[in-house]
Amino acid sequence: MTIDFVLNGKPQKTQIRSGDRLVYVLQKLGDFPSLIPDCLGGNCGRCLVFMDGRLIYSCLTPAFKAKGSSIVTYEGFSATEDCKDIIYGLKQASAFPCNFCRKAKIMMIADLLKRIPLPEETDIMEQMSIVSCPCTDPVSLAKAVLLSAECRNKRKFKRADK
Amino acid sequence: MTAKQTSESLPILSSLAFPDMLFASIIRSRAARAQNNLLNQPNLPAGYRIIAPSGILAQGLSLVTASGLSVFADKEISYQGEPLGLVVGPDPLLCDELAQTTDSSFEALEPDLGWESFSSSQIAYRKTLVQGDPEKAFEKAANVEKAVYHNGVFDHHYSEPMGALAAWEYDKMAIYCASQWPAHVRDSVAAVLKVPAADIVVKVTELGMALDGRLWLPSLVACQAAIAARLCRRPVKILFSRKEDYLYTSKQARSAVTIKSATDANGQFLALDIKIILNIGAYNPMAEELVNQAMSAITGLYVCPSIRLEAYAVRTNILPLGALGSIGSSHAFFAIEAHINHLASLIQKTPAEIKAVNIISKGHSNFGAEPLESEIPFLRISRKLEQLSDYRRKYASYELVKKRDPGCREGIVRGIALTLGYQTDQSFFESPSMNTYIVEVTLDRNLALSIDTHGAVGSEALRAMWKTTAAGVLSMSENDVHILPPVCNSAIQCGPMTLSRGATIINSLVERASRALQKKRFRETLPITSRAQIRLPHRLAWDSRSLRGQPFSGASWCGTAIEIEIDPLTGEPSPLSVWMVIDAGRIIVYDRAIASLRASILNALNLCIGDEFDPEGSSDDRYLYQRQIKPSSYPAINIEFLESEKASRPRGLGELPFVTLPAAFYSALTQAIGVEPRQLPLRGSEILRLLEAE
Ligand code: FES
Ligand code: FES
Repeated sequence: MTIDFVLNGKPQKTQIRSGDRLVYVLQKLGDFPSLIPDCLGGNCGRCLVFMDGRLIYSCLTPAFKAKGSSIVTYEGFSATEDCKDIIYGLKQASAFPCNFCRKAKIMMIADLLKRIPLPEETDIMEQMSIVSCPCTDPVSLAKAVLLSAECRNKRKFKRADK
Repeated sequence: MTAKQTSESLPILSSLAFPDMLFASIIRSRAARAQNNLLNQPNLPAGYRIIAPSGILAQGLSLVTASGLSVFADKEISYQGEPLGLVVGPDPLLCDELAQTTDSSFEALEPDLGWESFSSSQIAYRKTLVQGDPEKAFEKAANVEKAVYHNGVFDHHYSEPMGALAAWEYDKMAIYCASQWPAHVRDSVAAVLKVPAADIVVKVTELGMALDGRLWLPSLVACQAAIAARLCRRPVKILFSRKEDYLYTSKQARSAVTIKSATDANGQFLALDIKIILNIGAYNPMAEELVNQAMSAITGLYVCPSIRLEAYAVRTNILPLGALGSIGSSHAFFAIEAHINHLASLIQKTPAEIKAVNIISKGHSNFGAEPLESEIPFLRISRKLEQLSDYRRKYASYELVKKRDPGCREGIVRGIALTLGYQTDQSFFESPSMNTYIVEVTLDRNLALSIDTHGAVGSEALRAMWKTTAAGVLSMSENDVHILPPVCNSAIQCGPMTLSRGATIINSLVERASRALQKKRFRETLPITSRAQIRLPHRLAWDSRSLRGQPFSGASWCGTAIEIEIDPLTGEPSPLSVWMVIDAGRIIVYDRAIASLRASILNALNLCIGDEFDPEGSSDDRYLYQRQIKPSSYPAINIEFLESEKASRPRGLGELPFVTLPAAFYSALTQAIGVEPRQLPLRGSEILRLLEAE
């Protein structure tokens, strides 16, 4: 079957088979180092993408569901100011993740801040289970999220004030 | 990698790619034990090939590494999942598929799975030590108790699954892999390719929290990738799937520890007869070390006039089992702490009281080791810990609840426990490559300092410590200090980064090298390099083989308390709070040390509540359903460092949670449910069953 959708702002048309996982289809469409099909079971979060603004595990999503949607991978998201705020927060809190989970964690935080601009600690802890990482200190990560939120809100409100 | 790359951004195997790179997947044995194995060569699509032991030998390469490990099983198979060969080709998914469908013919043999009673042919290593006259002491003693304590097989969820990439870079073969011991990788690859070690360069990829699970296994995978690269004359990458990583990488060894004790009315030990059995699976090159560390730890903290200590590493036909944080000591701490609990319940004392009468003190030692030169700060640690955790009040009230409501039908099922422990930087083995460490610091023309430790660590806290140390000596900003990614070439013989060595040895080398550089700083033109090196003395401060010397060289001390609650409906235990009081000398970067300890505590707790890995199990998807503490239910964690030690040199602390938490968790569980399960981990359903029986 042929599906079309928008990937990081660019229209795509591609052939898929009915059982294809979205993550593998996306990998074939370009160089996306952020997509690391790891557990293939919704555990690790190394395949997170935004589909129509919602964060999804692309390993668990059948490719046909992408039809007509707009998909943003980390590579598409990384150019945004929102991404810079998160990187700032992670660095300031000394919680900068390793290369293996960094992109997934940034997507996870982006999703949280999009839904809850000023998250509580419980919201952060809830969201943390999306990406598995044996080396995270939850307190530092929570601090990073709050710093990112502060930075993001300042920027957005400043713009709104103007 | 560019020269500018620092270890803050170590590459990951998943995204490393070279032009013309091929992928390889491992063909694994279906039998647990077999002989006359012969790989069947199926028809393969164009561009794919099978690499089998016969082909490797025919090309003049070797199947055996420098330390005697077999890269592929040839005729004999010793566990299910043992590598038999490789499928190499351009598409990794197709390679996986072909590897799974490639078969071998063999004569199946009855596997050796028994380990608590075993035959002499299964013994990989054994050792017995005796002090005093245990026999006589047992004859005379009024209170003699005997119990067996079991520790299950634990899996650690590594950041990136196991793998290796082999590629030519100019005239050398470069190996990319996440190994805690790059020199071991280099020597292993050189041995199988039959080339000088100078022809191999090892570049370490992201290690994450490796917990000693990446000491020797990465060397085998690196050899497999190197053989494939050599035979195909192209770069080759092997990357396990998460499932493969879960099923076939080394786990913590299974153990059974039998302790027979003779005590007086106060719980003071008069004699101990201890038998430690470690099931190491098909093989483990560190069997001797596991046994020695376990033996050192089990009577390490307590004195007793008469001890018989017997320990075995036993081979069985399951995947290799070995170290996972603290190399053997956590089994030992768990067993002795559990036994002290057991004694406490018999003589109506608290476990803390029994520990207090037995704890080693200044001037004492076991097995003829040098007597302790100064008092261990355990009294201060336990006082502080009791105060922080409100241990006495909680302990007494949970005991009361338990007495009033045996079987816990009214719903409050809580327990609290406190354990003591230590980690050391003891040397093990006597080979120079295990015990040599080198640090180079270079100040470049831009006044940036790079530190090359040649040692692979995944701990951000350690890297931060080295940076702060160097920046402090040279009075420069930490932003201008970079840790180079570990690269191991022939000039460097560097030991593994394990135990406390990153904190004690490497940090003091960073300090020495920086001081040497400071002396040259305004006299020589930039760039200036200085180097500090240490080969740990041949006569070791502590020889774990003979149990001679100073058993606590470079030791950090800690006390851990934990409060847990059992869900009365499901039986699942959940930790409510964890407290740690630590004396690890000078803490250089306080925030990072705390952050890394918090992460280690959560990992150690996951090992306590997680499901036991079942090497004989059949369900392949178990890795997806591992029980873990959800971030929303993380316990409150409170860590304090003992202040008066601030002036002393820094010591390691990353393994303290792994050493003490299983024992503390078990003790709290025992108090909560009022029965002694004598094993870890325990599922909720088993706890419910024990409660029902009660
Ligand atoms: S690969 Fe999708 S969640 Fe792990
Ligand atoms: S920081 Fe990357 S996996 Fe933990």
